Amino acid sequence: MAARSGPRNTRLLVVGLVVVSLAIITVDYREGDSGPLADMGRAARTFMAPLQEAVTNATRPVGDFFSGVAHLPSLARENADLKAEIADLQARIAATSQVAAQNQNLQNLLDLQQSLRPPSVPAVVIANGMSNLNYSITIDRGSNDGVQKNDPVVTGSQDGARLVGIVVAVTPISADVRLLIDEGFSVPGRLATSGETGLVVGNGDQDLTMQDIPANTKFPSGSATESVFTITYQIGDQQSRFPPNILIGTVSAVVQGVQPDAQVSVRPAVDFSSLETVLVLQTAGSSG
Amino acid sequence: MRRVLALFAVIVTAILLQSTVFSQLRLLGVRPELLYLVTIVIALQEGPNEGALIGFTCGLAQDMLLDQPMGITALTLTLLGYAVGMARQYIVSPSPLVPTVVVAIATALGVAFYEIVTFLLGQFEAGVTYAVKVALLTALYNAVLTPILAPLLRRIVEGSRPRRVVRL
Repeated sequence: MAARSGPRNTRLLVVGLVVVSLAIITVDYREGDSGPLADMGRAARTFMAPLQEAVTNATRPVGDFFSGVAHLPSLARENADLKAEIADLQARIAATSQVAAQNQNLQNLLDLQQSLRPPSVPAVVIANGMSNLNYSITIDRGSNDGVQKNDPVVTGSQDGARLVGIVVAVTPISADVRLLIDEGFSVPGRLATSGETGLVVGNGDQDLTMQDIPANTKFPSGSATESVFTITYQIGDQQSRFPPNILIGTVSAVVQGVQPDAQVSVRPAVDFSSLETVLVLQTAGSSG
Repeated sequence: MRRVLALFAVIVTAILLQSTVFSQLRLLGVRPELLYLVTIVIALQEGPNEGALIGFTCGLAQDMLLDQPMGITALTLTLLGYAVGMARQYIVSPSPLVPTVVVAIATALGVAFYEIVTFLLGQFEAGVTYAVKVALLTALYNAVLTPILAPLLRRIVEGSRPRRVVRL
Protein backbone atom coordinates (compact mmCIF):
# COMPACT_ATOMS: atom_id res chain seq x y z
CA MET A 1 0.00 0.00 0.00
CA ALA A 2 1.42 3.34 -1.01
CA ALA A 3 1.17 5.29 2.21
CA ARG A 4 2.74 8.44 0.82
CA SER A 5 1.54 9.51 -2.57
CA GLY A 6 1.66 12.95 -4.09
CA PRO A 7 -1.35 15.11 -4.87
CA ARG A 8 -0.94 14.19 -8.52
CA ASN A 9 -1.38 10.49 -7.82
CA THR A 10 -4.33 11.21 -5.58
CA ARG A 11 -6.00 13.21 -8.30
CA LEU A 12 -5.44 10.37 -10.77
CA LEU A 13 -6.92 7.92 -8.28
CA VAL A 14 -10.02 10.06 -7.77
CA VAL A 15 -10.53 10.57 -11.49
CA GLY A 16 -10.12 6.82 -11.96
CA LEU A 17 -12.66 5.97 -9.27
CA VAL A 18 -15.14 8.53 -10.60
CA VAL A 19 -14.84 7.06 -14.09
CA VAL A 20 -15.36 3.56 -12.70
CA SER A 21 -18.44 4.78 -10.77
CA LEU A 22 -19.90 6.39 -13.89
CA ALA A 23 -19.21 3.22 -15.87
CA ILE A 24 -20.98 1.15 -13.21
CA ILE A 25 -24.00 3.49 -13.24
CA THR A 26 -24.23 3.33 -17.04
CA VAL A 27 -23.75 -0.43 -17.32
CA ASP A 28 -26.18 -1.21 -14.48
CA TYR A 29 -28.74 1.22 -15.90
CA ARG A 30 -28.63 -0.51 -19.27
CA GLU A 31 -28.46 -4.10 -18.14
CA GLY A 32 -31.12 -3.96 -15.46
CA ASP A 33 -31.60 -7.35 -13.85
CA SER A 34 -29.46 -9.52 -16.06
CA GLY A 35 -25.87 -8.27 -16.00
CA PRO A 36 -22.83 -9.24 -13.97
CA LEU A 37 -23.42 -6.21 -11.73
CA ALA A 38 -26.90 -7.46 -10.86
CA ASP A 39 -25.33 -10.83 -10.02
CA MET A 40 -22.86 -9.06 -7.72
CA GLY A 41 -25.74 -7.27 -6.05
CA ARG A 42 -27.59 -10.55 -5.56
CA ALA A 43 -24.46 -12.13 -4.09
CA ALA A 44 -24.06 -9.22 -1.66
CA ARG A 45 -27.71 -9.47 -0.58
CA THR A 46 -27.40 -13.23 -0.16
CA PHE A 47 -24.33 -12.66 2.02
CA MET A 48 -26.07 -10.02 4.13
CA ALA A 49 -29.44 -11.76 4.60
CA PRO A 50 -28.42 -14.27 7.33
CA LEU A 51 -26.55 -11.50 9.18
CA GLN A 52 -29.53 -9.16 8.98
CA GLU A 53 -31.79 -11.94 10.20
CA ALA A 54 -29.52 -12.60 13.18
CA VAL A 55 -29.26 -8.93 14.11
CA THR A 56 -33.01 -8.39 13.75
CA ASN A 57 -33.80 -11.41 15.92
CA ALA A 58 -31.33 -10.27 18.55
CA THR A 59 -32.37 -6.63 18.62
CA ARG A 60 -36.10 -6.72 18.00
CA PRO A 61 -37.08 -5.96 21.64
CA VAL A 62 -34.43 -3.22 21.80
CA GLY A 63 -35.53 -1.78 18.48
CA ASP A 64 -39.14 -1.72 19.65
CA PHE A 65 -38.16 0.09 22.83
CA PHE A 66 -36.13 2.71 21.02
CA SER A 67 -38.66 3.21 18.27
CA GLY A 68 -41.04 4.12 21.08
CA VAL A 69 -38.58 6.69 22.37
CA ALA A 70 -37.80 8.05 18.94
CA HIS A 71 -41.47 8.67 18.25
CA LEU A 72 -41.85 10.67 21.45
CA PRO A 73 -43.24 13.89 19.90
CA SER A 74 -46.08 12.06 18.20
CA LEU A 75 -46.64 9.99 21.34
CA ALA A 76 -47.14 13.16 23.32
CA ARG A 77 -49.81 14.25 20.87
CA GLU A 78 -51.56 10.94 21.26
CA ASN A 79 -51.43 11.17 25.04
CA ALA A 80 -54.93 12.56 25.38
CA ASP A 81 -56.44 9.82 23.24
CA LEU A 82 -54.49 7.16 25.07
CA LYS A 83 -55.68 8.28 28.50
CA ALA A 84 -59.23 7.52 27.43
CA GLU A 85 -58.17 4.03 26.51
CA ILE A 86 -56.29 3.28 29.72
CA ALA A 87 -59.32 2.00 31.61
CA ASP A 88 -60.16 -0.32 28.80
CA LEU A 89 -56.59 -1.51 28.46
CA GLN A 90 -56.03 -2.21 32.15
CA ALA A 91 -58.63 -4.93 32.01
CA ARG A 92 -56.75 -6.58 29.20
CA ILE A 93 -53.19 -6.22 30.48
CA ALA A 94 -53.31 -9.38 32.54
CA ALA A 95 -54.35 -11.46 29.59
CA THR A 96 -52.02 -9.90 27.10
CA SER A 97 -48.45 -11.00 26.64
CA GLN A 98 -46.11 -10.61 23.75
CA VAL A 99 -46.22 -14.31 23.04
CA ALA A 100 -49.98 -14.32 22.88
CA ALA A 101 -49.96 -11.36 20.54
CA GLN A 102 -47.40 -12.96 18.28
CA ASN A 103 -49.34 -16.20 18.33
CA GLN A 104 -52.46 -14.32 17.31
CA ASN A 105 -50.56 -12.57 14.60
CA LEU A 106 -49.30 -15.83 13.12
CA GLN A 107 -52.73 -17.45 13.53
CA ASN A 108 -54.24 -14.55 11.60
CA LEU A 109 -51.70 -14.99 8.84
CA LEU A 110 -52.41 -18.72 8.76
CA ASP A 111 -56.15 -18.12 8.47
CA LEU A 112 -55.49 -15.59 5.76
CA GLN A 113 -53.12 -17.93 3.95
CA GLN A 114 -55.76 -20.66 3.90
CA SER A 115 -58.42 -18.29 2.61
CA LEU A 116 -56.29 -16.84 -0.17
CA ARG A 117 -56.75 -18.05 -3.70
CA PRO A 118 -53.20 -17.81 -5.05
CA PRO A 119 -50.76 -19.95 -3.05
CA SER A 120 -48.70 -17.93 -0.63
CA VAL A 121 -45.47 -18.15 1.33
CA PRO A 122 -45.19 -16.80 4.89
CA ALA A 123 -42.07 -14.73 5.56
CA VAL A 124 -40.41 -12.83 8.39
CA VAL A 125 -39.14 -9.26 7.96
CA ILE A 126 -35.36 -9.31 8.52
CA ALA A 127 -34.34 -5.77 7.52
CA ASN A 128 -35.88 -2.42 6.67
CA GLY A 129 -33.96 -1.20 3.65
CA MET A 130 -30.90 1.03 3.52
CA SER A 131 -32.05 4.34 2.15
CA ASN A 132 -34.06 7.33 3.33
CA LEU A 133 -35.37 7.84 -0.19
CA ASN A 134 -36.84 4.39 -0.72
CA TYR A 135 -39.20 2.47 1.51
CA SER A 136 -38.44 -1.23 1.39
CA ILE A 137 -38.10 -4.27 3.60
CA THR A 138 -36.12 -7.49 3.28
CA ILE A 139 -37.84 -10.80 4.02
CA ASP A 140 -36.34 -14.20 4.79
CA ARG A 141 -37.83 -16.07 1.81
CA GLY A 142 -36.37 -16.08 -1.69
CA SER A 143 -36.38 -17.96 -4.97
CA ASN A 144 -35.68 -21.24 -3.12
CA ASP A 145 -39.16 -20.92 -1.61
CA GLY A 146 -40.81 -19.90 -4.87
CA VAL A 147 -40.78 -16.14 -4.34
CA GLN A 148 -40.48 -14.25 -7.63
CA LYS A 149 -40.04 -10.67 -8.70
CA ASN A 150 -43.39 -8.78 -8.87
CA ASP A 151 -45.13 -11.05 -6.36
CA PRO A 152 -47.59 -9.03 -4.24
CA VAL A 153 -46.94 -9.06 -0.48
CA VAL A 154 -49.79 -8.83 2.05
CA THR A 155 -50.51 -9.19 5.73
CA GLY A 156 -53.74 -9.28 7.76
CA SER A 157 -56.16 -11.86 9.09
CA GLN A 158 -58.99 -13.98 7.79
CA ASP A 159 -61.16 -10.84 7.63
CA GLY A 160 -59.11 -9.80 4.68
CA ALA A 161 -55.69 -9.24 3.22
CA ARG A 162 -53.99 -5.87 3.58
CA LEU A 163 -51.53 -4.75 0.94
CA VAL A 164 -47.88 -4.38 2.02
CA GLY A 165 -46.03 -4.03 -1.27
CA ILE A 166 -44.42 -5.87 -4.15
CA VAL A 167 -41.27 -7.97 -4.52
CA VAL A 168 -38.61 -6.03 -6.46
CA ALA A 169 -35.48 -8.15 -6.01
CA VAL A 170 -34.93 -11.80 -5.18
CA THR A 171 -31.96 -13.85 -3.99
CA PRO A 172 -32.13 -17.60 -3.28
CA ILE A 173 -32.68 -16.96 0.45
CA SER A 174 -34.17 -13.46 0.71
CA ALA A 175 -36.25 -10.91 -1.17
CA ASP A 176 -36.60 -7.13 -1.15
CA VAL A 177 -40.13 -5.75 -1.03
CA ARG A 178 -40.98 -2.22 -2.13
CA LEU A 179 -43.55 -0.89 0.29
CA LEU A 180 -46.89 0.63 -0.64
CA ILE A 181 -45.71 3.98 0.78
CA ASP A 182 -42.64 4.20 -1.49
CA GLU A 183 -42.78 7.13 -3.90
CA GLY A 184 -42.18 4.78 -6.81
CA PHE A 185 -45.15 2.55 -5.94
CA SER A 186 -48.51 2.69 -7.65
CA VAL A 187 -51.49 0.35 -7.64
CA PRO A 188 -54.95 0.64 -9.21
CA GLY A 189 -57.61 0.93 -6.49
CA ARG A 190 -61.40 0.95 -6.14
CA LEU A 191 -63.46 2.94 -3.63
CA ALA A 192 -65.68 0.50 -1.74
CA THR A 193 -69.02 2.38 -1.69
CA SER A 194 -68.99 4.29 -4.97
CA GLY A 195 -67.04 1.74 -6.95
CA GLU A 196 -65.00 4.48 -8.64
CA THR A 197 -61.46 3.51 -9.59
CA GLY A 198 -58.21 5.43 -9.60
CA LEU A 199 -54.48 5.10 -9.23
CA VAL A 200 -53.10 4.93 -5.68
CA VAL A 201 -49.50 6.16 -5.38
CA GLY A 202 -47.07 6.19 -2.46
CA ASN A 203 -46.05 9.43 -0.73
CA GLY A 204 -43.31 8.42 1.68
CA ASP A 205 -44.21 9.21 5.26
CA GLN A 206 -47.40 11.01 4.15
CA ASP A 207 -50.68 9.25 3.39
CA LEU A 208 -51.09 7.68 -0.04
CA THR A 209 -52.73 9.66 -2.84
CA MET A 210 -55.52 8.24 -4.98
CA GLN A 211 -55.68 10.07 -8.31
CA ASP A 212 -57.92 10.23 -11.35
CA ILE A 213 -61.24 9.62 -9.65
CA PRO A 214 -64.28 11.52 -11.02
CA ALA A 215 -64.84 14.88 -9.30
CA ASN A 216 -68.49 14.13 -8.51
CA THR A 217 -67.66 10.96 -6.56
CA LYS A 218 -69.82 10.62 -3.43
CA PHE A 219 -68.16 9.76 -0.14
CA PRO A 220 -69.88 8.38 2.94
CA SER A 221 -70.67 11.24 5.32
CA GLY A 222 -70.04 11.53 9.05
CA SER A 223 -67.78 9.07 10.77
CA ALA A 224 -68.24 6.29 8.23
CA THR A 225 -64.99 5.42 6.52
CA GLU A 226 -64.44 4.67 2.88
CA SER A 227 -62.11 1.79 2.13
CA VAL A 228 -59.93 1.34 -0.95
CA PHE A 229 -59.33 -2.11 -2.43
CA THR A 230 -57.17 -3.46 -5.23
CA ILE A 231 -58.75 -4.36 -8.56
CA THR A 232 -57.73 -6.53 -11.45
CA TYR A 233 -57.63 -5.24 -14.97
CA GLN A 234 -56.30 -6.24 -18.31
CA ILE A 235 -55.17 -3.83 -20.97
CA GLY A 236 -54.02 -5.64 -24.07
CA ASP A 237 -51.78 -8.39 -22.82
CA GLN A 238 -50.75 -6.38 -19.78
CA GLN A 239 -52.38 -7.79 -16.69
CA SER A 240 -52.48 -6.24 -13.23
CA ARG A 241 -50.04 -7.61 -10.70
CA PHE A 242 -52.44 -7.63 -7.77
CA PRO A 243 -55.32 -9.99 -7.04
CA PRO A 244 -58.61 -8.16 -6.39
CA ASN A 245 -60.06 -7.11 -3.02
CA ILE A 246 -56.89 -6.64 -1.02
CA LEU A 247 -57.44 -3.72 1.37
CA ILE A 248 -55.08 -0.84 0.53
CA GLY A 249 -56.32 1.65 3.14
CA THR A 250 -59.08 4.02 4.15
CA VAL A 251 -59.79 7.49 2.81
CA SER A 252 -58.45 10.08 5.26
CA ALA A 253 -59.07 13.32 3.36
CA VAL A 254 -60.75 14.50 0.18
CA VAL A 255 -58.83 17.10 -1.80
CA GLN A 256 -61.23 19.29 -3.75
CA GLY A 257 -59.12 20.17 -6.71
CA VAL A 258 -59.98 22.44 -9.61
CA GLN A 259 -59.19 19.73 -12.14
CA PRO A 260 -61.93 17.57 -13.60
CA ASP A 261 -60.57 14.71 -11.54
CA ALA A 262 -60.64 14.59 -7.75
CA GLN A 263 -57.90 13.37 -5.46
CA VAL A 264 -58.14 11.75 -2.05
CA SER A 265 -55.62 10.87 0.65
CA VAL A 266 -55.58 7.24 1.69
CA ARG A 267 -54.20 6.04 5.02
CA PRO A 268 -52.50 2.64 4.54
CA ALA A 269 -54.22 -0.29 6.27
CA VAL A 270 -50.85 -1.64 7.41
CA ASP A 271 -48.72 -0.15 10.21
CA PHE A 272 -45.33 -0.38 8.54
CA SER A 273 -43.37 0.52 11.66
CA SER A 274 -44.35 -2.70 13.42
CA LEU A 275 -44.45 -5.10 10.50
CA GLU A 276 -42.89 -8.46 11.43
CA THR A 277 -44.55 -11.18 9.37
CA VAL A 278 -46.01 -11.10 5.85
CA LEU A 279 -47.38 -13.39 3.15
CA VAL A 280 -46.00 -13.44 -0.39
CA LEU A 281 -48.68 -14.25 -2.98
CA GLN A 282 -47.29 -16.35 -5.79
CA THR A 283 -48.99 -14.75 -8.73
CA ALA A 284 -46.07 -13.36 -10.68
CA GLY A 285 -45.46 -16.58 -12.60
CA SER A 286 -48.48 -15.88 -14.79
CA SER A 287 -48.13 -12.14 -15.36
CA GLY A 288 -45.55 -9.40 -15.48
CA MET B 1 -4.33 -7.47 4.72
CA ARG B 2 -5.25 -6.85 8.31
CA ARG B 3 -6.39 -3.37 7.37
CA VAL B 4 -8.55 -4.61 4.51
CA LEU B 5 -10.24 -7.10 6.83
CA ALA B 6 -10.77 -4.46 9.51
CA LEU B 7 -12.35 -2.04 7.02
CA PHE B 8 -14.46 -4.85 5.53
CA ALA B 9 -15.79 -5.60 9.03
CA VAL B 10 -16.51 -1.91 9.60
CA ILE B 11 -18.47 -1.64 6.33
CA VAL B 12 -20.49 -4.83 6.93
CA THR B 13 -21.29 -3.70 10.48
CA ALA B 14 -22.37 -0.26 9.26
CA ILE B 15 -24.67 -1.76 6.62
CA LEU B 16 -26.14 -4.21 9.13
CA LEU B 17 -26.85 -1.53 11.71
CA GLN B 18 -28.32 0.83 9.15
CA SER B 19 -30.70 -1.76 7.69
CA THR B 20 -31.85 -3.21 11.02
CA VAL B 21 -31.38 -1.32 14.28
CA PHE B 22 -31.26 2.23 12.91
CA SER B 23 -34.21 1.69 10.60
CA GLN B 24 -36.24 1.21 13.80
CA LEU B 25 -34.47 4.07 15.53
CA ARG B 26 -35.40 6.95 13.30
CA LEU B 27 -35.10 10.64 13.96
CA LEU B 28 -38.36 12.21 12.72
CA GLY B 29 -38.63 9.45 10.15
CA VAL B 30 -35.04 9.62 8.93
CA ARG B 31 -32.25 7.13 9.57
CA PRO B 32 -28.55 7.99 9.71
CA GLU B 33 -26.21 7.31 6.78
CA LEU B 34 -23.51 5.33 8.54
CA LEU B 35 -21.40 4.74 5.44
CA TYR B 36 -21.22 8.50 4.84
CA LEU B 37 -20.07 8.85 8.43
CA VAL B 38 -17.40 6.14 8.05
CA THR B 39 -16.12 7.76 4.84
CA ILE B 40 -15.98 11.25 6.32
CA VAL B 41 -14.27 10.23 9.57
CA ILE B 42 -11.65 8.11 7.80
CA ALA B 43 -11.02 10.81 5.16
CA LEU B 44 -10.58 13.37 7.93
CA GLN B 45 -8.11 11.07 9.63
CA GLU B 46 -6.16 9.70 6.67
CA GLY B 47 -6.38 12.28 3.90
CA PRO B 48 -7.75 12.45 0.34
CA ASN B 49 -6.13 9.29 -1.00
CA GLU B 50 -7.59 6.93 1.57
CA GLY B 51 -10.73 9.03 1.70
CA ALA B 52 -11.50 8.48 -1.97
CA LEU B 53 -10.71 4.76 -1.76
CA ILE B 54 -12.77 4.06 1.34
CA GLY B 55 -15.57 6.23 -0.07
CA PHE B 56 -15.68 4.24 -3.29
CA THR B 57 -15.68 0.94 -1.37
CA CYS B 58 -18.39 2.03 1.10
CA GLY B 59 -20.48 3.45 -1.73
CA LEU B 60 -20.26 0.33 -3.85
CA ALA B 61 -21.17 -1.82 -0.85
CA GLN B 62 -24.26 0.29 -0.15
CA ASP B 63 -25.21 0.37 -3.85
CA MET B 64 -25.39 -3.40 -3.98
CA LEU B 65 -28.17 -3.39 -1.41
CA LEU B 66 -30.17 -0.48 -2.81
CA ASP B 67 -32.96 -0.69 -5.32
CA GLN B 68 -31.33 2.01 -7.48
CA PRO B 69 -28.87 1.92 -10.37
CA MET B 70 -25.55 0.83 -8.87
CA GLY B 71 -22.66 3.27 -8.70
CA ILE B 72 -24.44 6.44 -7.57
CA THR B 73 -23.43 6.09 -3.93
CA ALA B 74 -19.93 5.01 -5.03
CA LEU B 75 -19.62 8.21 -7.07
CA THR B 76 -20.97 10.34 -4.21
CA LEU B 77 -18.74 8.89 -1.54
CA THR B 78 -15.59 8.87 -3.71
CA LEU B 79 -15.95 12.61 -4.22
CA LEU B 80 -16.99 13.15 -0.60
CA GLY B 81 -13.98 11.24 0.77
CA TYR B 82 -11.62 13.13 -1.53
CA ALA B 83 -13.17 16.51 -0.71
CA VAL B 84 -13.09 15.95 3.05
CA GLY B 85 -9.50 14.68 2.81
CA MET B 86 -8.51 17.81 0.89
CA ALA B 87 -10.40 20.12 3.26
CA ARG B 88 -8.47 18.63 6.16
CA GLN B 89 -5.44 20.84 5.52
CA TYR B 90 -7.54 23.99 5.96
CA ILE B 91 -8.84 22.96 9.37
CA VAL B 92 -6.56 24.51 11.96
CA SER B 93 -8.82 24.41 15.00
CA PRO B 94 -7.81 21.80 17.58
CA SER B 95 -11.38 21.75 18.91
CA PRO B 96 -12.80 18.28 19.64
CA LEU B 97 -15.97 19.45 17.90
CA VAL B 98 -14.23 19.47 14.50
CA PRO B 99 -15.24 15.91 13.47
CA THR B 100 -18.87 16.54 14.46
CA VAL B 101 -19.11 19.77 12.48
CA VAL B 102 -17.33 18.29 9.45
CA VAL B 103 -19.58 15.21 9.52
CA ALA B 104 -22.68 17.40 9.68
CA ILE B 105 -21.70 19.64 6.76
CA ALA B 106 -20.25 16.85 4.62
CA THR B 107 -23.25 14.54 5.17
CA ALA B 108 -25.70 17.27 4.15
CA LEU B 109 -23.68 18.02 1.00
CA GLY B 110 -23.21 14.32 0.22
CA VAL B 111 -26.89 13.46 0.58
CA ALA B 112 -27.85 16.50 -1.51
CA PHE B 113 -25.39 15.43 -4.23
CA TYR B 114 -26.80 11.91 -4.18
CA GLU B 115 -30.36 13.24 -4.47
CA ILE B 116 -29.39 15.46 -7.41
CA VAL B 117 -27.72 12.59 -9.27
CA THR B 118 -30.71 10.26 -8.72
CA PHE B 119 -32.98 13.10 -9.88
CA LEU B 120 -30.92 13.58 -13.06
CA LEU B 121 -31.18 9.85 -13.72
CA GLY B 122 -34.96 10.05 -13.33
CA GLN B 123 -34.93 7.83 -10.23
CA PHE B 124 -35.96 10.45 -7.69
CA GLU B 125 -39.70 10.43 -6.98
CA ALA B 126 -40.02 12.52 -3.80
CA GLY B 127 -40.47 16.30 -3.68
CA VAL B 128 -37.94 19.05 -2.99
CA THR B 129 -39.15 19.61 0.59
CA TYR B 130 -38.64 15.97 1.41
CA ALA B 131 -35.19 16.00 -0.20
CA VAL B 132 -34.10 18.99 1.90
CA LYS B 133 -35.60 17.47 5.05
CA VAL B 134 -33.74 14.19 4.49
CA ALA B 135 -30.42 15.95 3.83
CA LEU B 136 -30.66 18.12 6.97
CA LEU B 137 -31.99 15.45 9.33
CA THR B 138 -29.46 12.86 8.13
CA ALA B 139 -26.70 15.42 8.72
CA LEU B 140 -28.02 16.09 12.23
CA TYR B 141 -28.35 12.39 13.05
CA ASN B 142 -24.85 11.61 11.73
CA ALA B 143 -23.45 14.54 13.74
CA VAL B 144 -25.09 13.21 16.91
CA LEU B 145 -23.54 9.78 16.32
CA THR B 146 -20.06 11.16 15.55
CA PRO B 147 -18.82 11.64 19.15
CA ILE B 148 -19.73 8.00 19.81
CA LEU B 149 -18.54 6.36 16.59
CA ALA B 150 -15.60 8.53 15.49
CA PRO B 151 -13.21 7.55 18.34
CA LEU B 152 -14.08 3.89 17.75
CA LEU B 153 -13.41 4.18 14.01
CA ARG B 154 -10.19 6.08 14.66
CA ARG B 155 -8.96 3.32 16.94
CA ILE B 156 -9.74 0.65 14.34
CA VAL B 157 -7.95 2.63 11.61
CA GLU B 158 -4.93 3.35 13.81
CA GLY B 159 -4.78 -0.22 15.11
CA SER B 160 -4.80 -1.75 11.65
CA ARG B 161 -2.28 0.64 10.10
CA PRO B 162 0.58 -1.23 8.36
CA ARG B 163 3.51 -1.49 10.74
CA ARG B 164 6.44 0.83 10.14
CA VAL B 165 9.84 -0.70 9.44
CA VAL B 166 11.57 -1.28 12.75
CA ARG B 167 15.00 0.35 12.94
CA LEU B 168 17.59 -1.25 15.14
